[in-house]
Amino acid sequence: MRIACISRGSYSRGKEVAETLAKKLGCPCISREELVEAATKAGIRVGKLETAVLKPHIFTERLALEKEHFQAFSARYLLERVVKDGDIVYHGRAGHLLLAGISHVLRVRVVADMEYRISHVMRQMNLSYEKAKRYIEAVREDHARWVHMYYGVTWDEAQQYDLILNLSQMSVENAAAALLTVSQLPDFQVTPASRRAIDNVLLASRVRVALAEREDTSGGQYTVSASDGAVSVVYPLYQAHAAEEIRAVAGGIEGVRSVACTQAQTNLLWVQERFEPGSEAFREVVSLANKWGAAVELLRLDAAGENCEGGAQLVTYGAAGQPKDVKTENNGGIEEDTSEAGGAADDGGLRDTLAELARMGRSGGGRAVRAAPHAAAEFVKPGVGYTLAVVGEVFLDKGQAARTRMSRELASLLHERLRVPVVTVQELKQRYLFNPKSIINLLLLSAVAAAIYAAVFLNQEAVLDFLHGTGAGSRIPAAVCVFAGVPLIAYIYGTVARLVLKLLRIE
Amino acid sequence: MSGEIGHMFIHLGVGGALQVVLLGFIGGILSGFIGSGGAFFMTPGMMNLGVPGVVAVGSNITHKFGKAMMGSKKHGEMGNVDRKLGAFLILTSFAGIRLAVWLNSMLFAGGGGGSHGEGGGGATSNLYISLVFVCILSVVAVSMLRDALKSRLKAEAAEHGPSQKLVEFFSRLRLFPMIYFPVADVRISLWVILVVGLATGYLAGTIGVGGFIGVPAMIYVFGLPTAVAAGTELYLAMFMGGFGALNYALEGMVDIRLTMLLYLGSLFGIYIGAYGTKVVREVVIRLVTGVIIILCVLSRGIAIPIYLRELGVLAMDPRYDALFNGASKALLFVSGITGAAIILFYVTAAYRRRNRMQALLWTAPRRTEAAAAG
Repeated sequence: MRIACISRGSYSRGKEVAETLAKKLGCPCISREELVEAATKAGIRVGKLETAVLKPHIFTERLALEKEHFQAFSARYLLERVVKDGDIVYHGRAGHLLLAGISHVLRVRVVADMEYRISHVMRQMNLSYEKAKRYIEAVREDHARWVHMYYGVTWDEAQQYDLILNLSQMSVENAAAALLTVSQLPDFQVTPASRRAIDNVLLASRVRVALAEREDTSGGQYTVSASDGAVSVVYPLYQAHAAEEIRAVAGGIEGVRSVACTQAQTNLLWVQERFEPGSEAFREVVSLANKWGAAVELLRLDAAGENCEGGAQLVTYGAAGQPKDVKTENNGGIEEDTSEAGGAADDGGLRDTLAELARMGRSGGGRAVRAAPHAAAEFVKPGVGYTLAVVGEVFLDKGQAARTRMSRELASLLHERLRVPVVTVQELKQRYLFNPKSIINLLLLSAVAAAIYAAVFLNQEAVLDFLHGTGAGSRIPAAVCVFAGVPLIAYIYGTVARLVLKLLRIE
Repeated sequence: MSGEIGHMFIHLGVGGALQVVLLGFIGGILSGFIGSGGAFFMTPGMMNLGVPGVVAVGSNITHKFGKAMMGSKKHGEMGNVDRKLGAFLILTSFAGIRLAVWLNSMLFAGGGGGSHGEGGGGATSNLYISLVFVCILSVVAVSMLRDALKSRLKAEAAEHGPSQKLVEFFSRLRLFPMIYFPVADVRISLWVILVVGLATGYLAGTIGVGGFIGVPAMIYVFGLPTAVAAGTELYLAMFMGGFGALNYALEGMVDIRLTMLLYLGSLFGIYIGAYGTKVVREVVIRLVTGVIIILCVLSRGIAIPIYLRELGVLAMDPRYDALFNGASKALLFVSGITGAAIILFYVTAAYRRRNRMQALLWTAPRRTEAAAAG
């Protein structure tokens, strides 16, 4: 059950190496193209996923689900071939990352001489030298983006591989021979533990694919794991209604002995400039966290520090409020001595609030960021698994109007980055936008507006006679009436319109 | 209605009244979303219903007064109105308007051909207005679309604001005195404000759509966020509308019924449009605005051969006038309705997203754990 995953760039001859190695091992050689074709046949829009890597703005929630589906499908496809054929060689983009947890996978990266690749592209695609070079670089960037987006790692990073083969001084045949030798080392032979890992990953991916394929359960993001036939499915809050179906789908997969369905512990991100345990905003956020069983992560944003010396700064705090590390933009990310750097600075009540949250069992740690407003969202990492972000009082050094606008823009940036709902603290407070006072106002003003409209439209001729008048002098009262009356009508009817839209929650 | 009153003010049936309400709704959406664009749509729309041009203009400008007041109030609550900048622009743009009126009157007095369409004056004046409209707005629309599309292609739409080239150029000039505007959070030279205000006023007075110039100028020259530019423009429009309403009312040319019917649609529309600026990404606002302006430019461009014929520059059969005029008006309506439809589409999508989020917030069940043997 040897598994070799060869990660290759375009025209780097990785495919030739993989095919030669497969021949030497006497096992099937599976390409990424074959995998993509199978996934496409199964209804996964791989093309759309590829496009979304280039155009992140089209990456919708639905595509995020298809991404998970595709990952699980790929793992299942490869491992079913392993179970069926014994050994396999796979070549594509960092395929080993699909098989995380299986220790004997041989992870190989094949690189080739750039000049060779350029001349190959020039010949095959009839391009000039510069265009061929640009093409290769563009494809490389796309692949790197894909790997980063799907696995959060850097494609070219040496730590990702057991072996990196540079073909500029080595033939394909010799590279394959070298890989054959390495694959025979004890480190890359199946062990009882890695065999169990194969079974577990395969079972988990089968369950995940089944959840994606069933209509009732296809709309959720799940974390599925398996251990000796016991499957654990962690589902999101919004899929709580489908808990029974999830259990039924998972239980119906061959090899599953038991199913544990657990609603996810969620994370709330709360962004604010100054925190205060005991404040109304604190109570609102904690109340929501209690309701959801969520941990609250605090992000203190000090946008006033955008002009401070030393550039943007990030201080990380532990769950109980203890400073952990400090990173400053201009020191190349070198961590400083935290007890002094993080401890002495004004933390805007962050540590006290974290300590209070920790006491309530709701602390998710915290960070203090000193950065320009537009750069603040960069410090929020996607993929942490936030369910909601709450934007509180920020940009306190600005005027009220600028603060309102900038807070809204920050919320918009956070939404773009995290792809989760972002609300303001005010929205948390205003659970019921439409209160009894609004109803009375609506009824009263509607009646006044109706009376004005009726008065004008039931006496059209008289009104127009008055407005048109007969001489310039007699029009002065008419002009005064128009000048004073029109804003009044606009105000009365405009308030009715605003209240109706408020009732419809278009606020 | 009879006599002079009957001549000035049309009979309004239920169908006609509903059409005016619809005109108001579409104009309101455009106005709330892009800070301008109501008048270009509503005035010719009312003229199509048989309202005399001057009454259509008078009723619309009166409507603009209250509508802009409510719109700027709403934008103000959202932090989108820079009153200080508005005050500076009002003073300078009034001077620009006077300059434009003087120039236009000279050309109108020069005559040339008969009257046509909403311009309502001589062919020389109409041709001048149309050419200024087409030239200026083409540049604005193309720049806006190019900028927005470039941002989209770079896939950085969320972070990518409008082009900052002009803003950087003017900020480098640092012409004393520099004035700080707290809401927009920008520092602008007084001289740049004077020039832009004068140009905005001149163009508003010439082609009647100050917002189409004022909003892009505030975005690209002052570096204002799009929402603040739209809000501040509405604030300006409130004063201009008030001034216009008073003048037209003194002339007895305001049909208050039309104004009130327009409000029935526009005040809903303007809130929906303003809501759109809050939930739609900046790049989309710029794209929609660019598309609407381009269609308006085409609409005006189509009418130019008529004026050239009237001036004797173009040998064209007068029977084609109706064709060109009809095509021009149709395109104008297409631009307004398309723009409003796009805005409504985005607003509806955002509204549904928000409702889902609200449901998640307030109706979420308590955490449950379920473990069972399979």
